[in-house]
Amino acid sequence: MSPGDLDTALCGLDFPTDANVLVGLSQADDAGVYKISDDLALIQTVDFFTPVVDDPYLFGQIAAANALSDVYAMGGVPKTTMNLVAFPAKKMDLSILRTVIQGGIDKVREAGAVLIGGHSVEDDEFKYGLSVTGFVHPKKIRTKQGLKEGDRLILTKPLGTGIINTAIKGHLASDDLIRTVADVMATLNRKAAEIMAPYPVHACTDITGFGLIGHLAEMIQGTGLGIRLYAENVPLLDGAKALAAMGMVPGGAYRNRDFRASMVDMDASVDLSIQDILYDPQTSGGLCIAVSPEDARRLQDDLIAGGVDPAAMIGEVAGHPSEKIQVV
Amino acid sequence: METLDARGLDCPAPVLKTRALVEARHPRQIAVTVDNEPARQNVSRFLSSQGYQTDIQQDGPVFTIVGTLREGVQAAVPQSASPPVSVAASGSRKIMVMVAADRIGRGDDTLGAKLMGNFISTLKEMGTELWRLVFVNSGVRLTTTDAPTLAALKDLEASGVMILVCGTCLDFFNLLDRKEVGETTNMLDIVTAMQLSDMVINL
Repeated sequence: MSPGDLDTALCGLDFPTDANVLVGLSQADDAGVYKISDDLALIQTVDFFTPVVDDPYLFGQIAAANALSDVYAMGGVPKTTMNLVAFPAKKMDLSILRTVIQGGIDKVREAGAVLIGGHSVEDDEFKYGLSVTGFVHPKKIRTKQGLKEGDRLILTKPLGTGIINTAIKGHLASDDLIRTVADVMATLNRKAAEIMAPYPVHACTDITGFGLIGHLAEMIQGTGLGIRLYAENVPLLDGAKALAAMGMVPGGAYRNRDFRASMVDMDASVDLSIQDILYDPQTSGGLCIAVSPEDARRLQDDLIAGGVDPAAMIGEVAGHPSEKIQVV
Repeated sequence: METLDARGLDCPAPVLKTRALVEARHPRQIAVTVDNEPARQNVSRFLSSQGYQTDIQQDGPVFTIVGTLREGVQAAVPQSASPPVSVAASGSRKIMVMVAADRIGRGDDTLGAKLMGNFISTLKEMGTELWRLVFVNSGVRLTTTDAPTLAALKDLEASGVMILVCGTCLDFFNLLDRKEVGETTNMLDIVTAMQLSDMVINL
């Protein structure tokens, strides 16, 4: 659903809570966090969607990497998972479902987590995803809030998956491009999360459906701080720019822009296709990590040395203009 | 003027229908009717990328995008002002070599074929800057069974050079099942590769 619609639907509802809820709906973070003891908290998240690629095994991998990502974005380690399946059993061969789940299982195993159950329903349209529970130390939770003036922002995956997925639906993407984008989406954020763990990270989120700008907007909301985003430094998937110029921009990107445009000062020199990509909804996107300028260079070096590519310094946190994203 | 009613369609369908019409008829003027904002913007982007000047008329929730081909413009994806940032390791140029014949130059065909053989086996000297190798028209013969250039091309492919072979051309020469190296491709891939490369060498 679009961010505006979701806000409208949930606005004013009273959710049950207690003192052990460390991160709940009021903060709208990547996942919920519940304290068990002084040195252990549970991270819980759920995500599922319709197929983004034709290959069932790859789709399973992508859906799992996407669901696991929220735990990494909160600074945690995924432990248990459950399958969520909506499947048109009368129209589709069950072997397809089996292959999708195999892809999911393999990603869960790669994450070092286990699969302990699931739930399935019959549906006209195939959907797959996972609920994921992870562990985190209550003092080491990474949330979207906590930016400090001067912080640098590091992004760990290239953007453009929404645009390329639209082109895939339109049969306008080459096999080569499909493989590249599928690999990016199926890559776990595990390594990036492990490398950032020892750093004093001020804020972190994963880039998904609201697009880069939508997620940056969530990071500055209520902080009085702004973000200066360097469009040239933002890593892009090969081909995304050309496909955006061809009109392969998904409806979600336009909805994201309509919702956040009032918080954005877009420099006129920024190419229209790049603007589209900055709002493009991402599937299983990278982590956006905010650290002090002193730590940023070392973290970037560590990420690159650890094989996280790209680890791009895309912007910095500014004192003003308040709660605006300046794209230059 | 060509007209297209794309109401009731969600992205990317309106663009795909517009594209099919533009490719089939190459109209000087085209009017596309859509009923949602993403479709309006995407069809406008597409027509601009194909060299059309666009004008939008709105009637309530319905938009009509009128595209008029600019003078002297051939339909093509526009060149961007700056090269896109690539996920691949950058720092060197990306060179695309487009081979449109199975021999080099005119004069003696035997000599021309020999020169092409030498050219293909010497291409590796470009090192990692050689990014894409594209074969069109009779150039596709160089990628087929028994071609003397096959071994050198397979070595290039193994070293990471992407080899694209025009599917329309293979079909024209009835060579689809004889191609032994590279990926069969279409004109969109070729145009996109041209746009993304730093240098295109035509042969």
